[in-house]
Amino acid sequence: MAGRAAVPFVEIEALRVKEFIPAAKEALTALIAEQGQARLIRPVFNWAGRNSLFPLHWGLACCAIEFAAGFGARWDAERFGVVPRSSPRQCDLMIVNGTVTWKVAHKLITLYEQMPEPKWVIAMGNCATGGGPFRTAYSVVPGVDKLVPVDVYIAGCPPRPEAMLDGILRLEQLIRERKE
Amino acid sequence: MQPADLERALAPKLGAGLIGVEPFEGMAGRVRFHREAALDLFRTVREDLGFAHLSMVGGIDWVTHREVFYVVWSDDANQYLVLSTDLPAEDAHVESASGVWPSANWHERETWEMVDVTFDHHPDLRHLLVPDGYVFHPLLRSFKLHEPEELEVKSRHV
Repeated sequence: MAGRAAVPFVEIEALRVKEFIPAAKEALTALIAEQGQARLIRPVFNWAGRNSLFPLHWGLACCAIEFAAGFGARWDAERFGVVPRSSPRQCDLMIVNGTVTWKVAHKLITLYEQMPEPKWVIAMGNCATGGGPFRTAYSVVPGVDKLVPVDVYIAGCPPRPEAMLDGILRLEQLIRERKE
Repeated sequence: MQPADLERALAPKLGAGLIGVEPFEGMAGRVRFHREAALDLFRTVREDLGFAHLSMVGGIDWVTHREVFYVVWSDDANQYLVLSTDLPAEDAHVESASGVWPSANWHERETWEMVDVTFDHHPDLRHLLVPDGYVFHPLLRSFKLHEPEELEVKSRHV
């Protein structure tokens, strides 16, 4: 990399693997020299966090089948750094994949509150988005945004795994655009 | 086991509590009884007739009255049997079967919250499928679909 201008920090992600490590090293060194360590930490956290979103490994209804398929060989969400974890303490993303009933509502809130900050929520499918076909049913929460703040909504009944991956990538974009 | 056999076995124990035993497609029969005789009937059916497994408890709102039915299974006879009783809609209560068949516990909780039939001496009559504080009985004919927000406010849960 010697003799070339440092790659701007925000563009590092787009590089090939071979160029990635020297470019990252150079960009970080330049940033430390320019801005000091304290201001460096936030962008690095943002960059690391958005590329290793760990969703909570739980399923509520049929969307969970698509969620599971999304982590299988064909779609392989793990190539985006998305690894489902079984404990909410290790997660920063909750994908609400299915119909939320009032009975399960406070369990969902408990799980959400157990997740460490910063955390995000994706409402996957029509039920989590607005109650879906069960909107007027006697026991269904009409949209999970009544319980927890939702960052990305995915339409579909159920959405295909591609749609789930698109939602996750959009969330990454959202995190990247945060002014911090 | 035929309906006539059942009637012969049950009549002496229940007396006037037994209304009759009807034939029922694919099962040993359908025992209709008055609710006062419920506990005697459960004990007789389980201990004397050998129907040791309670398969399900359910309720139906017939508008004029409510029906509660129990489906029990006997390994020896290799047959199901239906026990059913009619309850007045304004005073729907019946003795709990959970002392005789412990598996009745959750079924009766569900029947209670869905069609508003109270089970006397039930050990733990709480909501099963809907949250605590829920004021509706969704499987009653009088239950209307509500706007979600209305349900939320009226039930005051979560």
